[in-house]
Amino acid sequence: MQPRQLLVIDDEDDIREVARMSLELTENWIVNTANGGAAGIALARSMKPDAILLDVMMPDLDGPSTFRALQDHAGTMLIPVIFLTAKVQAADRQKYMALGVRGIIAKPFDPLTLGTQIKEVLSWQ
Amino acid sequence: MTARWKNSIRGKLTGIIMLISTTAVLMAYTFSVVQDVVDNRLELDEQLLAYGQLIGAHAEAALRFDDKEAAIEALSVLRTKPSIVAGTIYTAGGVPFARYRTGPIASPSSVHHAANGLIHGHGRVELFLPVTIDRERVGTVYLAADRRDLVARMKEDAEFLVIILLLCLTVAFILASRLQKRISDPIVGLARVARNVSEHKDYSVRASTNDSHASYEIENLVIGFNGMLAEIEQRDDRLLLIQTHLEKTVACRTEELTVANEELLGAKNAAEKIAEVNAQLARESALILNSATDGIIGVDLDTEPSFLNPAAARMLGRSLNDLRGASIHQLIHHSRADGTPWPEGDCPLGQAILHGESLAVSDDTFWRSNGTSFPVEYSATPMFDEHGKQRGAVVTFRDITDRRAIERLKSEFVSTVSHELRTPLTSIRGALGLLGSGLLGPMAEKGQRMLEIAVSNTDRLIRLINDMLDLERIGSGKVELARQPVDAHTVMVQASEGLQSIAAQAGVRVVIEPASGNLWGDSDRIIQTLTNLIGNAIKFSPRDTTVTVSGTARAADFAFSVADQGRGIPPEKLETIFERFSQVDASDSRDKGGTGLGLAICQTIVTAHGGRIWAEKNEPAGSRFRFTIPLAPAITAPPASESLASGITDPTIKAPAILVVEDDLDLARVMTTSLQARGIRTIHAATGSDAIRLCRQHEPSLIVLDLGLPDIDGFAVVRALKANATLSRLPLIVYSALEVDKAEQARLRLGPTEFLTKSRCSLPDFEAHVVRLLENVTNQKKEELNAA
Repeated sequence: MQPRQLLVIDDEDDIREVARMSLELTENWIVNTANGGAAGIALARSMKPDAILLDVMMPDLDGPSTFRALQDHAGTMLIPVIFLTAKVQAADRQKYMALGVRGIIAKPFDPLTLGTQIKEVLSWQ
Repeated sequence: MTARWKNSIRGKLTGIIMLISTTAVLMAYTFSVVQDVVDNRLELDEQLLAYGQLIGAHAEAALRFDDKEAAIEALSVLRTKPSIVAGTIYTAGGVPFARYRTGPIASPSSVHHAANGLIHGHGRVELFLPVTIDRERVGTVYLAADRRDLVARMKEDAEFLVIILLLCLTVAFILASRLQKRISDPIVGLARVARNVSEHKDYSVRASTNDSHASYEIENLVIGFNGMLAEIEQRDDRLLLIQTHLEKTVACRTEELTVANEELLGAKNAAEKIAEVNAQLARESALILNSATDGIIGVDLDTEPSFLNPAAARMLGRSLNDLRGASIHQLIHHSRADGTPWPEGDCPLGQAILHGESLAVSDDTFWRSNGTSFPVEYSATPMFDEHGKQRGAVVTFRDITDRRAIERLKSEFVSTVSHELRTPLTSIRGALGLLGSGLLGPMAEKGQRMLEIAVSNTDRLIRLINDMLDLERIGSGKVELARQPVDAHTVMVQASEGLQSIAAQAGVRVVIEPASGNLWGDSDRIIQTLTNLIGNAIKFSPRDTTVTVSGTARAADFAFSVADQGRGIPPEKLETIFERFSQVDASDSRDKGGTGLGLAICQTIVTAHGGRIWAEKNEPAGSRFRFTIPLAPAITAPPASESLASGITDPTIKAPAILVVEDDLDLARVMTTSLQARGIRTIHAATGSDAIRLCRQHEPSLIVLDLGLPDIDGFAVVRALKANATLSRLPLIVYSALEVDKAEQARLRLGPTEFLTKSRCSLPDFEAHVVRLLENVTNQKKEELNAA
């Protein structure tokens, strides 16, 4: 079975690194990262990942805008997107879910269970 | 002396008596003299005539026969009558024929042939009597009688009269002197008394009435005089009395006047002081109004501004003159915050002013004259004059731009903290987690221990941040509770499931006792509370002990209980443990990894639900935490009762409609659904102004009123309804989260009114109240209809 490919888009280098290492080590997934919305969109179009972990609060192009851009493009519109956010209030959750994302994972996340959480959200085996 | 005596009543009386006596004697004398004279004369005349005729008869023959002898013979008869002093018989020619004379009177030498009759002369009476034969005068008889003896007799009588008169006068004087006393004495006495009275002004003396000589007139006079004196004395007394009274009255009045004067003076001073104080107050009021940083606008009953303080003018960029002639709504409140027009009829401010209600709005927008706006907090308070008549209202407002900015800043800060703190923590936590997992290679035992410490403290830091944010958001009301019906047992199970691993690690059993209750609340928050309490209980429980989670449905709420068998809480800490960062032991937070905010969050959540949380000692050991959450209104409704159904179907009575005033839309939906299931028509209003409008439109049979409403509160709604004669008698159920005290109850009454507290009255109870009140009202209406 081909290992799953994930794209992590976050402006924080450290978080990208931790998430990448966490998912590679615990799940053996292939993880690519992008440091912003624009780079993320470009990378998503080229690598066509199985899922995207998208940070909500980013300078320039934020999470929701990036998500809409992905949705607007035929090549990326079917890729499931999970928001990574420090905003965990119920109202924020409802707002983000209303955009059409598949799930929301709160920061800070536990690196050992991040993969499990993603699998639960996407109903992966 | 003589003159005085003459003038005295005695003199006069004596004089009068003597005058009367003299007059009487003189008159008697005169009368007798006149009588005498007249009698004498008549007698003399008759004698003269008789003798004349006798002599004449004798003289006829003598004259016929010229017989002088016979004539003298005839005359000699005169000797028998001495009073006749002369007699002559004349011939037809008037020549004396025979003479007789005894006195000084001489017969006339001749007589006229026509002489006839009696002639009364001085001291004498003469008779000429013709002698006729066959109607032929043949001579004349002349007789003369001397009357001087009569005069002489009268002279004698006069002398006698003087003597008699003197005698009479003497006697009269003596008698008068004696008798006049009878009259004069009482009068003199009276006069003396009168003089005394007049000289000494002594009206108490009285004239004597005992004088036996006094005649009844005098007696009457005396009595009258005494009566007069008595009258005068009485009048004097009365006058004295009146005078005394008058003096007293005058004194009294004078005193009163003095007092009144003083009072007036005092009042004047007081008035001056009051005026001064008023002026001072007015100055101070003006100063206060001018210095106030809050905007103050006075409006009249047409909601037109009539006053504007400098702060208001500055904030609104207007002067009072700009504001005249239009309503306050049109001037400064015409649009909503987003710029859309706000119809005046929907304006709670205008409505509150018009209806004399108080209104407090914490978040609204006022508009300046230049078209810009600013956020305000304002209140409108009706102004009433001393007679309780509304004169207008005062609108006080405050520019809350700064507060908004601070709130925004705070909100941004919270947001920033949540993001900026969590971002590095995410990296730290992730890196530490990966290191600790051993996935990156083996780690020395001590290094592993350090990593574990780093991980657990990072987790704690994350929890602390989360808790602080929770506390801030729930406490400030920023996060609305997502209330819905919640099954008590389910949340108990869910909360404990999340803690199973911790419990297992701690070697503590968590036991959930069966419980059933349909709660009205935010299930996530209730689970959060339970999780907190159970987690605490596990942390403070020794190994192999049990944490028991239970609950019981009560009248209006459900009481959860989390009991442990740990070391317990000292009694003095039972109250304070809900405070932030409060720990029973200073070392607790470090040992047990708590944030010190868990119980504070629990309390905040429970209070926001309208419940209560407290801690108590558990028997035999440990502590027990309890909290209450209101029961949800029952949705599955029992069938409508017979009486109510018949009441509703009665065609003569309008089907009752209930107005449910509730701003919590979920609760309102549950309430209306369950009432509709009973066949009761319901109308719903989410705001106070809607409630008033719908009441006026529909005249519901009953109002269910929540007190905390977004625009105007329940008190203002009731006040507005009271102004309407029909609506003021509506049955009312105040169904509020807040306890309503007696004074507030009095302000909230319309018709039959009941007060239910949400946390104490479950929905089934609430429905029972509604149905019972409706039945009462329906029955009463029926009775009224029957009576009519």
